[in-house]
Amino acid sequence: MTQIKKFFPYLIAVVAAFIAAGIFIAALKFNPIKAYETIFFTSFRTPNGFIQTLTKWVPLTLVSLAFTVPLSSGKFNIGAEGQMLVGAIGAAAVGITCASLPPILLVPMIILAGILAGAFWGLISAWLLYQFNINEILSTVLLNFISFALIDYVATGPWRDPAAGHPTTVAIGANGFLPMLVNQPPLTIGVILAALAAILIYFYTDKTTSGYELVVTGANPRASKVHGINIRQMFLFSMVIGAGLAGLAGAIEVSGTQHRLIEGLHSNFPTLGLIIGLIARGKNQAVPFVAFFIAILEVGASAMQRTLQIPVQVVLIMEALILIFILLSDLIKRRQK
Amino acid sequence: MSGVEVFLTDFLKLTFLSMVPFVLAGQGTMLGGRTGVFNVAQEGIMLTGASVGFLVGYLSGSVFVGALSAMLVGGLFGLVLAYFTTTLKMDQFVVGLALFFTGLGLSSLLPKLALGVTLTPPLIPTLPDIAIPLLSKIPVLGPILFNQNILVYLSILLSVALWYILFRTNLGLRLRSIGENPKAADSLGISVNRYRYLTSIIGGMLIGLAGAYLPMVYTGTFTDLMVKGRGWIAIALTFFGGWSPLPIMFGSLFFAGVEVLSYRMQVGGAFIPYQFLIMLPYIATIIVMIFTFGKAKVPSFLGQNYDRERRTL
Repeated sequence: MTQIKKFFPYLIAVVAAFIAAGIFIAALKFNPIKAYETIFFTSFRTPNGFIQTLTKWVPLTLVSLAFTVPLSSGKFNIGAEGQMLVGAIGAAAVGITCASLPPILLVPMIILAGILAGAFWGLISAWLLYQFNINEILSTVLLNFISFALIDYVATGPWRDPAAGHPTTVAIGANGFLPMLVNQPPLTIGVILAALAAILIYFYTDKTTSGYELVVTGANPRASKVHGINIRQMFLFSMVIGAGLAGLAGAIEVSGTQHRLIEGLHSNFPTLGLIIGLIARGKNQAVPFVAFFIAILEVGASAMQRTLQIPVQVVLIMEALILIFILLSDLIKRRQK
Repeated sequence: MSGVEVFLTDFLKLTFLSMVPFVLAGQGTMLGGRTGVFNVAQEGIMLTGASVGFLVGYLSGSVFVGALSAMLVGGLFGLVLAYFTTTLKMDQFVVGLALFFTGLGLSSLLPKLALGVTLTPPLIPTLPDIAIPLLSKIPVLGPILFNQNILVYLSILLSVALWYILFRTNLGLRLRSIGENPKAADSLGISVNRYRYLTSIIGGMLIGLAGAYLPMVYTGTFTDLMVKGRGWIAIALTFFGGWSPLPIMFGSLFFAGVEVLSYRMQVGGAFIPYQFLIMLPYIATIIVMIFTFGKAKVPSFLGQNYDRERRTL
C-alpha cells in the first residue's frame, strides 16, 4: 500500500504532463488522440517495433546511469555524450586494427576498450575536480565539445571510408560484431550487457559498503567527511564509473549497431539520459524502467512523424514536461509532510 | 599599411566583435549569481534567443523587434528559474538543467513550426557597422574600436554601468550582500526574494540577447546548436572574472580572441588538422579554469536557496 502511495504522485505527474502536451499538440492543429495512439502502441504492435524499443533502451539505460551514478555522490556528469563518443572511438580503434582476431577475443576486447576509453574521458573531469576543484558540470560539457572534433578527426583520418559521404570509418572486423540474440528482427546481446550493468550498479550501490559510502556522500557530504569517508575520492570514483558506462554504450553502438564509427552516432541519447536520470530522481534502480518508458516514446515519436507528420521535437517537449511535473510532484509531497 | 598590420587590425576588430555574446551572457550570469541564483541554462537560453531573435526578426522585418523578443524570452526563462528556485526552493542545478533541455528543444522546434522544413533557410540582414564620428578616424584604434555594430558599444557601456551599480550604489551593495549572506541582508529589511527575481530576469534577458547576436551578426540565419558551447564557456568566464563586471569584460576579450584565432587558422589552412583548431576554445577554457578556479572570488551563497524560516543557513 505504501508503495502505491509513494508511486501515486508520479503517476499523476505523468498523466498531467501528457494532458498538457496533448493540448500543445492540439494547438498545433494535429489530432492528439491519434498522436498518443501511435506513440504508445508502435512498440507493441509488431515484433519489429518491440525490438527497436529494446535496441534504443540499451544506450538510454547506460547513458542515464552515467548520469545517476555520479549523482549518487552529488556530482553532475553532463559529459555522457563525450564519454560515449570516446568510448566508441576506442572500440572502433580496436575493432579495426585487430580485425583478424577470433570473435572470442575480439568482442570482449572491443567492449573493454570502449569502457576504458570512456572512463578515461571521465577521469579527465574527475581529476580536474579532485586536483583543482573545477566544477564538473563545466569540465564535462567542455570535453563534450572537444570529443565532437575528435570523432570528426578520427572518422576523416586514415581509417576513413572513402565511399561514404558522411565522416565514417571503414567497418570493424566481422569477428568483432556483437553476437545476435534474435536474428530477425535483429537484436544483439547488447541488451544483456546493459541489463547486467544496471543490475551490477544496483547491487553495488544498495548492497556493498563502498556503494553505501557513495550514497551517503551524496546525501550529506559534510557528515560523511566527519565520519571518515574520503568524499573527494568518492567523487572521482563515481565519475569514472559513470563515464565507463557511457563508454560501454559507445562500444555497443559500434560493435552491435553501426559496425563502424560514424560521426553523430550518439544521436540524442546523452541528452535523453539526463532527462531520464532526473525523472528517475537520480535513483539508479529506477533508471532501467524510466529508460524503457522513454524508449517507447522515442520509437513512437519517429512513427508519429512518419505517419502523421507531427515533428519529433514535440516528444522532447513532452519529456521536458514530464520532468517538470515530476519535480513539482516532489514538492507537493514535501509540503504534505 | 603592411600585411602584418592589416592582419592585426582585422584580428582585433573581429575579437571585439566576437566578445559581445560572452560579455552579455557573462554579465547575465554574474548578475543572477550576485544574489545567489546560479543559472546553468545559458546554452539553452542562448539557443532559444537565437531562434526567436531570428524568427521574429525575419517575420516582422525588423532586427530590433527580433532582438527585443529574444530578450523577452530570455527574461521569461529567468522568471521561471527564479520562481522554481526562490519561491518553490527547488535545486538550482536541476531546474537549470531542465530549462537547458527546454531551450534546446524549443530552439529547434520553433523554426520548424514557423517556417516549415526548408532547404534554403531565409536570411535576415546582419547588423551594420556604425562609425563613430571623429573617433573612428584615429589611426589603428579607430577601425578596431569605433567602427563596430551597436551591440559592441552597448556591451562595453553595460559592463561599465554594471560595475558602477554594483560597487558604487546602494542598490549594488544590497545585491552583493544578498549573495554573501541572505540572512543578514534579510534582517536589514532587504527583500531577498524580490532582488533574486529581479536579477534572474534581467540576467535571462541579457543571455537571450547574447543568443540573438549570433544570427544577427554572424550568420543571418538560425541553425540547430549554433551556440556551440558559448553558453557553457560564459559560466567558466564568470568564474574567471571573479563575478565582477569589468574583469568579465576583459575575460570575454580573451575568449573571443581564442575563438577568432581558432577560426582564422582554420581558414588560413594551418599545418594542424582543423579539428584540433576547433577544440582550441574549449581547451583554452579548461586551462584557464585550472589557473583561476581555486583563487576565484565567488559569492558565498552562489547556488543556494534561502529559506527565512530555517534556523541555520
